[in-house]
Amino acid sequence: MTTVAASPHTGHAHHDDRSFVSKYIFSTDHKIIGIQFLFLSLFFLLVGGILAMQIRWQLGFPGKPMPGGGILPQTMAPGGVILPEYYLQLVTMHGTFMVFFAIMLLLVGVYANFIIPLKLGAHDMAFPRINMASFWSAFVSGILMLSSLFVADGAPRAGWTMYVPLSARHDYSGVGFGQELWSISIIFFGLSSVLGSLNYITTVINNRAPGMTWFRMPLSVWALFITAVLGLLAVPVLAGAAIMLLFEQVLGTHFFDPSAGGQVLLWQHLFWFFGHPEVYILILPAMGLVSELIANGSRKPIFGYHSMVFAIVGIAFLSWIVWGHHMFVSGMNPTLGSSFMVTTLLIAVPTAIKVFNWLSTMWRGNLRFHTPMLHAIGFVTMFTIGGLSGIFMAATPLDMFIHDTYFIVAHIHYVLFGGSLFAIFGSIVFWFPKMFGRMMNEAWGKVHFWLTFIFFNTTFFPMHMIGMAGHMRRLYDPTIYEFLRPVQPLNVFISVNAFLLFAVQIIFFVNFWWSLFKGEKASQNPWEDNGLEWTLPNPAPHGNWETPPTVYRGPYEFSAPGVTEDYLPQNRKLPTDREPALSPAGH
Amino acid sequence: MDPPFPAERGVDVYNKKLGMWVFLASEVMFFAALIGSYVILRFGAPGEWAKPGVVLNIKITAFNTFLLICSSVSMVKAYAAVSDGDIGKMRFWLLMTILGGACFVGIQVFEYIHLVERGFVPAGVREGSELAEMVAKGELPGATMGLYGSTFFTMTGFHGFHVTCGVISMLFLYLTKALPGKYTQQDHAGIEVVGLYWHFVDLVWIILFTIVYLI
Amino acid sequence: MATTTHKHPPYIMIWIYLAVLTALELGLAFEFARNWTFGLKLTLLMILAIWKALLVALYFMHLKFEKWNLRLVALFPLPLVLILLAAGMSEHIW
Repeated sequence: MTTVAASPHTGHAHHDDRSFVSKYIFSTDHKIIGIQFLFLSLFFLLVGGILAMQIRWQLGFPGKPMPGGGILPQTMAPGGVILPEYYLQLVTMHGTFMVFFAIMLLLVGVYANFIIPLKLGAHDMAFPRINMASFWSAFVSGILMLSSLFVADGAPRAGWTMYVPLSARHDYSGVGFGQELWSISIIFFGLSSVLGSLNYITTVINNRAPGMTWFRMPLSVWALFITAVLGLLAVPVLAGAAIMLLFEQVLGTHFFDPSAGGQVLLWQHLFWFFGHPEVYILILPAMGLVSELIANGSRKPIFGYHSMVFAIVGIAFLSWIVWGHHMFVSGMNPTLGSSFMVTTLLIAVPTAIKVFNWLSTMWRGNLRFHTPMLHAIGFVTMFTIGGLSGIFMAATPLDMFIHDTYFIVAHIHYVLFGGSLFAIFGSIVFWFPKMFGRMMNEAWGKVHFWLTFIFFNTTFFPMHMIGMAGHMRRLYDPTIYEFLRPVQPLNVFISVNAFLLFAVQIIFFVNFWWSLFKGEKASQNPWEDNGLEWTLPNPAPHGNWETPPTVYRGPYEFSAPGVTEDYLPQNRKLPTDREPALSPAGH
Repeated sequence: MDPPFPAERGVDVYNKKLGMWVFLASEVMFFAALIGSYVILRFGAPGEWAKPGVVLNIKITAFNTFLLICSSVSMVKAYAAVSDGDIGKMRFWLLMTILGGACFVGIQVFEYIHLVERGFVPAGVREGSELAEMVAKGELPGATMGLYGSTFFTMTGFHGFHVTCGVISMLFLYLTKALPGKYTQQDHAGIEVVGLYWHFVDLVWIILFTIVYLI
Repeated sequence: MATTTHKHPPYIMIWIYLAVLTALELGLAFEFARNWTFGLKLTLLMILAIWKALLVALYFMHLKFEKWNLRLVALFPLPLVLILLAAGMSEHIW
């Protein structure tokens, strides 16, 4: 972060005499807040990865002492051998940290904050102080969640989906205060998310530069905007459910207690009513960012910009009425289940439209295979595989067999790692110069991509196979089951490749940190991109523009006729351009 | 409230007001989770629900409802006053709103204490209490009292929490902006925005009062 | 802010409406509807409650005089609430 201060500020910046604390710690600048989220979320990505390594150790080598396991307490892993109680904490917290604190914060906390004002031509978010509150709320939430691993009886063990009654009853789960910490942490996280969402929504609606009409907005901003709407309306339901769970845990309420008239399925309905829009929160921003990377790497406008927008809106709209597909085997109302099957199959359509549009964008483009482009192509291919496995799950009769097996785990990781995480890696590399004024090393970036791509597939593809064979999720020791012994070699194979996959991330880690301090200084527009952010110096100064730029065209005018370069920024005025209509007292 | 820089036409509503409406949309979903759970649980309850008025005190709550509605009126009169330029009247009506809201919370707290004394708690009915005897005598349906307690305290508790936050916010604005004369006829966003929040809180109570106390 | 120079809505009238509707609700719940079915009472009480809520939303929160796009922001969550309720309640009708 010191490089932000070290880089020269040009005449664009206004005089900035804030203290170190108000510049970098309690900053209201959306770019600094985005970078704060970046460091916070990368930390939690590491935490989630370490938890995953332990899971894979247990599954590949059940009952064997784990290297380094000696530092774990005797109640969790005596002699380094993972106990079932600890294993369940691992799977629960891996899911929790990755979903909330890694992917959500990386996609929304980082990129919504960093990109939206820059790509819209705004000075900052609509509510900079609320933005700061959103970050610190997420920080507190993360600390609380992390601390649940260290309290007596450890972290929750009911899976990141926290199904009742296991999560509600200490006598069922064996968990102590860690259970309450999860609920309290989620409540803080919900607050952070809602504060962020209302900021992003207000900024996109009201703070666009003159000429930046709705259909001239980049797809990343569209995706982040729609994601914010999803988050605004879905996350409070989770907060309500978490409150009810907390009261169940500490006040003895009976919401989910059948013996007192409560309903177990109520939790599942509330959770998945949030949970399904949540997974679209985890993928839509990635799709938006990938659109930027692919247009840039293909030197072509995005194919079907309007249909891309409508597809995002369509996905978001449908996401509210598909949640029951997580509950097909729960004993829910079968008619309700069938309607969920239909809507879930429908949601494949707008998603497919997007995939075809990305492919069509690349078709006959002047392709540049820079690191971000490689990651974007990786996204499209891996996400497609993940989406295809989703079709199987959408069909209720089929889901009966594959629900809660490793087939689902494969699907989740193809869309979240192969999808979201590749988009995140590509985006980190792409916007690194904007954030820090330096470039990440391109050669090592490519090495990291290819090794990650290979090991990712060797780790997660076999999970489809063992899932089909009936390998259950959250299973401590597969070898106790006769019918799973034949697939145990695949478990070992997966684990070894998972270790290699994790090890390879060191390349990214070193590249990131080294480039922060020693990376090649970036030119103003190193990727020759059209986004408004590239019209500012690297790193962008506090306050962004002195006066907002005027926008004359859409965001994807690559290889446009009439200009010598193969890109044409949105705010560059050509003789044929007209000024935008004057708006009455803009906001 | 005037824009500091030119921008595309948004929704012709200034940022703070749009932001508050967007926030209220999220609050609708939050209360939907709590109130929706109550509806779902009561709809699927394994037996009769307690009759209205037996456990809860209708007279006091009806007065409280009226009080909250009055405070909504005083809030909107404060807003009307400042948009007509009458700062003195705005101060008066804002103070009335704060007092009304504070009384509402006070009466709710008093109600809670009384209910707990009689034996009504979030977990349902406390053993050995007055209400427990009514359950034993069959005057109250034991099978659903657990749900009744859980839903009642959660919904009204969080509503009360929101009212408290509203009172504190209004007090803060009163002391730091309204009293020192920082609101003018042209610039009084805070009044309008906190007013929207306050009316929302009143709106939620209108629904809550009906479906929790009267049915 | 939208400086509309229309007269303020009759806030005191709305207040009286709200008081009357509240009194009606109390009467319905405890006085003159003792022998009516639960379903009928519930329907009428919900109508009265929604009427009161609409009065607050349209007049106090000024929605009657705002543009359609702000009303959209306010109304947007409602279908979602109904969907959640419908799904949850459907668990008990099969």
